[in-house]
Amino acid sequence: MSVSINTTDDNRSATIRINGRFDFSLHNDFRKSYKNVNISGGEYVVDLGNTDYLDSSALGMLLLLKEHAESQSSSVRLINFSEDIKEILTIASFDKLFSFG
Amino acid sequence: MMSVLDESTKTVLIVDDDSTNRMVLHALLAESGFNTIEVENGELAVAAVEENDIDIVLLDVMMPVMDGYDAAKIIKSRQTRFIPIIFLTAMTDDAALARCIEAGGDDFLTKPYKHIILSSKIDSMLRISSLYKNIEDKNKAIEESNFLMQQEMNVSKKLFDKIISNDMRGEKTGLNYSMSPMSMFNGDIILAEKNQTKGLNFLIGDFTGHGLSAAIGAIPVTDVFHSMTQKCFEFTDMLVEANEKLMDLLPTQMFMAAALVSIDRSNNIISVVNSGLPDIYLYRNNKIVRTFKSKNIPLGISRLTSAQFEVEMETLQYGDRLYAATDGVMEATNETGAMYGLERLLDVFEKNTQSAVLFDSILENVAEFCAGAKQTDDITLLEYCHLEKVEYKRDVEYLNEHREPSDWSMQFTLDIKSLRQFDVLPYIMQSVNQLQPLEYGRTSIHTVLTEMFANALDHGVLKLDSSMKATPQGYMDYYNEKQSRLESMQEGHIQVTLQHELHQHGGGRLSMYVTDSGEGYSHTPANQVTKNQYSGRGLKLISSLCTEMKVLGKGNSVVAYYDWEDEA
Repeated sequence: MSVSINTTDDNRSATIRINGRFDFSLHNDFRKSYKNVNISGGEYVVDLGNTDYLDSSALGMLLLLKEHAESQSSSVRLINFSEDIKEILTIASFDKLFSFG
Repeated sequence: MMSVLDESTKTVLIVDDDSTNRMVLHALLAESGFNTIEVENGELAVAAVEENDIDIVLLDVMMPVMDGYDAAKIIKSRQTRFIPIIFLTAMTDDAALARCIEAGGDDFLTKPYKHIILSSKIDSMLRISSLYKNIEDKNKAIEESNFLMQQEMNVSKKLFDKIISNDMRGEKTGLNYSMSPMSMFNGDIILAEKNQTKGLNFLIGDFTGHGLSAAIGAIPVTDVFHSMTQKCFEFTDMLVEANEKLMDLLPTQMFMAAALVSIDRSNNIISVVNSGLPDIYLYRNNKIVRTFKSKNIPLGISRLTSAQFEVEMETLQYGDRLYAATDGVMEATNETGAMYGLERLLDVFEKNTQSAVLFDSILENVAEFCAGAKQTDDITLLEYCHLEKVEYKRDVEYLNEHREPSDWSMQFTLDIKSLRQFDVLPYIMQSVNQLQPLEYGRTSIHTVLTEMFANALDHGVLKLDSSMKATPQGYMDYYNEKQSRLESMQEGHIQVTLQHELHQHGGGRLSMYVTDSGEGYSHTPANQVTKNQYSGRGLKLISSLCTEMKVLGKGNSVVAYYDWEDEA
């Protein structure tokens, strides 16, 4: 599976990993991964270390995750992204919406 | 027995030259609740099928005039719906039976047959026939709804094109663009409208996704764009409004990356707000002289005020060309899955020697790269050339409320708490505009005030050193330092005085004074500002936008004069 999620034992943080291309084809998998996760006041971490491409629908999915996180008073952090992906995130000014690194 | 099928009475065509056989079959079938029609040869059978609504045919093989084989062939070839044929025959050799199926029969039964077997076969055939009918009905329904949908799409497309279309392209406007939609509706939009300075305002937008859902967002944006350009709103207000509409309308995961550009022909200034589009290039004398990077969140993601949009400005020379594209260009993919990318694009810029053909060269280069591969995103490329003379086919009616000019002045004093809490410039601009609609210079005045105010705050009140901004890293540090000083500073204020006087011969002068509580700071003379300096751009801009600018007192006060003429 190209989307996986791990929640820490204390239920304070959940890490979502995306392998390969992060595009519309992952729409359902990505949503399903966090749908039933509830980490009140914690943090969702999206690990893009094994992500080789990210398109605008992926940006949309990140916004959905942000909405989900905010409904639980949690935040979203994006980590391990490549320079290419950083460029895409920066063009969309996602550094103003998510924490990086 | 009939309950598995539909309720209507079924009609069986009995074809046999022997009247006894016909009678026996009739009696048997009538008892089971069937209608029957009886004929004595193949030719009559063919006619009966054409004239009646037959559900199943029981066909003898050997008959005068036309035998069962030929009749079966004709019936099957002429009928579009499925009519099962069961051969009833005295022949028992395998070849003859095989021939029944070959001729188009669906089953056969050798005489003498047991009644119960015949009934079961009829039943089974009718069940198959009902399945066929079911599929047929569904196919028909799909076909019909496809047809309707296609028709509705065509109508919507026409409507949509009408709403969106406002072609300001042409050799005399300087605007040129190419859009290659990958689906019927485009996820990309380009809007253009003439503004008050006889320049153009234009917007290039890219919605997440393509097709109908993407196109829906385009309608309110178009509406806002045209009506607000006609009403002469400040263009960041336009973005606020479009952003609000998209926030209300679009689901969370959808947004529009866009750039709004305004060409001020009175002052030859270009203003750009890039919200999520790839770099926009200003090209002069065969070189890229300025890159407008995206500094804003795309529209439809979070609520923003006018002051939160970062506007970038640059002076224009005739012959300058601006290039903007959606990510479809950079992400255009070839057969091996490789992307076109920034390097190839910059290479086309680099190698180009004739700016007049640059636009076509870029498109050709992308097309060449992608040759044969399936297009995956909308590709939109826009070029604006700053011409010395422009002509528009269509005239825009400005819905500006005209108020007689008058003499007035107003003053605002903002203490450190106000400075810390909110961005006051939009409020000042709004008050000014309510008193005196500044029909011709709103953008310039806003820019001048913004720059003067930023200087007063940064250097006067907060005492930041602008040389810090000499490097990109310094630029970041500068802003972090600004934030922390703003929070910790205990005192300081800025005073803004605006004064408007009419000229005797028409037109008028707006004087803008900005005074801060600081000790004065050195203003780099505008002519010493070099292109590569991060700081100082502001002052150069102020000088180019107003008639005159003076530093007063100990250097903590600046006045800028903006003169306007009555439009003949």
